[in-house]
Amino acid sequence: MEPKTVALITGANSGFGLALSRALAREGLKVYATYRSPRKAGFLWELSRALPVYPILMDVKRESSVQRAVRQVLKREGRIDVLLNNAGFVMAGFWEDLSDKDVRDQFETNVFGLLRVTRAVLPSMRRRGTGKILNIGSIAAFAAVPGLGAYSATKSAVSALTEALRLEARPFGVDVAEVNPGEIKTAIVRNTRMGERVLSANSPYTPFTRQFEAFAKERFNHAAPVESLVKMVLKALSHSPMKRRYLVKPPDYATYFLRQFLPDSLWEWIVSRMFPWSRFPQRKF
Amino acid sequence: MENRQVALITGCSTGIGFETALLLARKGHRVFATLRNPEKAGLLREAARGLDLEILPLDVDKPASVKKAVAAALQGAGRIDALVNNAGWGAFGAVEEFSDAEIRAQYETNVFGLVRVTREVLPLMRRQKRGRILHIGSLAGKMAFAGIGLYCSTKHAVEAATESLRLETRPFNIEVAVVEPGTIRTPFKTNRRIAKVFQEGRSAYRKPMENLLRFANHPSPSTPGPEKVAAVVWKALQSKRMAARYPVGADAVWLPFLRRLMPDSLFDRVLEARYARFQQLG
Repeated sequence: MEPKTVALITGANSGFGLALSRALAREGLKVYATYRSPRKAGFLWELSRALPVYPILMDVKRESSVQRAVRQVLKREGRIDVLLNNAGFVMAGFWEDLSDKDVRDQFETNVFGLLRVTRAVLPSMRRRGTGKILNIGSIAAFAAVPGLGAYSATKSAVSALTEALRLEARPFGVDVAEVNPGEIKTAIVRNTRMGERVLSANSPYTPFTRQFEAFAKERFNHAAPVESLVKMVLKALSHSPMKRRYLVKPPDYATYFLRQFLPDSLWEWIVSRMFPWSRFPQRKF
Repeated sequence: MENRQVALITGCSTGIGFETALLLARKGHRVFATLRNPEKAGLLREAARGLDLEILPLDVDKPASVKKAVAAALQGAGRIDALVNNAGWGAFGAVEEFSDAEIRAQYETNVFGLVRVTREVLPLMRRQKRGRILHIGSLAGKMAFAGIGLYCSTKHAVEAATESLRLETRPFNIEVAVVEPGTIRTPFKTNRRIAKVFQEGRSAYRKPMENLLRFANHPSPSTPGPEKVAAVVWKALQSKRMAARYPVGADAVWLPFLRRLMPDSLFDRVLEARYARFQQLG
């Protein structure tokens, strides 16, 4: 009997991570699903009773925690075939409202955390000459939105890291790619963090932030179900080699292609129709 | 009547910052040229003799230093019309082989530092009801290459930060744009830090990285110099309304264009073939 494929999924206690853990386990993979806080791992433990899902404690923000978790899996299984870098969150706020700490926190999880896990897993994949790393990015990587700048910046950074790592790891037989979902209904909205000074009384952006909140809420009512992302991840993992990038829904393709082929000025005109607060106060000429 | 524009520029000890500070001063701006290490101000002081250029210490990594420099410029000139976020350096090495500390250091300057200076200047520009902010990004913000993946990721972040900030500050009549130099003959070489793992000879990517380094150390003679970037900064500041991006150099225009035209798979093939050569060379 063929041994089961071993997958490691970060940030699996809710949202994409939880859905992906369930789906991959149903596909017959052995899934090591990481959670940051035991308090929040309830759903994951529930899942583990019915499927080959093994919850494991890992805080991507801490090197020692990442190393320990990866060592644990490697000791038990001898290998990790698939790494899904999923852990991440959204830090909302206009740039001027974000403190040093806000910006750093956002990168610490979404970028440095991803690098930390990759660094822990990749050597074992290189030694075996095989493995797949799939990073969960976002359509925000290509279309920066006012009020979500820090998040967009982290996802753009992930996109660059995926591209470079893909080139560097390929000669070792390790395949790296990225999935860039658009708006998908998950806990990511509930888990959105606001910068320390966002919505404070003396911020000039407070009225914009309010408008943005209302706008985002409305948009997420029409967001795609998480199954669409799961389907795309399964498809990506079935490819050998994977494509560099996988988009999920038709609106995401539209965004991606418009962003590439429209001149900046036209693109911004469209965005400023969508976000009416991002317009100049008056025409200068 | 005081009509002269006031500019604050970071990272002026060499290269793009150095040339930009000089050019803006020659064109009649009042320039606050800032740099991290005042001991390296000698060359600039020499070149700026007779110009209205004041040198201030500013380490973008340090919040207190940023506050102090911006306050000093404000006290000296009463306002800041243009901010040029230029301070930055490049990490060299395989994505896998940077330590936490190396990654944080790279981001601290190239991304967090840029955001820090911008945040310090924005309230002032809002009060003035005008202002221009130019980020010095890179071609590496449009596409990523093996061996400099970490640096590319910081410049991608700068691109995204520009795009969002640009729209966020519009209601206050503040304009933001990014200048994207391709390969430029700058002392970027001295402004480069190589991954420790590689320096200690423990890299799993030793051969391709050695070849890449050799390649990077010998730019072709036709590569434009930093004064070309300075000229573009000047052009952007003079425009009626700044565009979102200002690529500098032929590669910065053509590579992103080609990439847009080619399917991902084909473009990847090209980059792979190029990287494969670095795997085989000497």
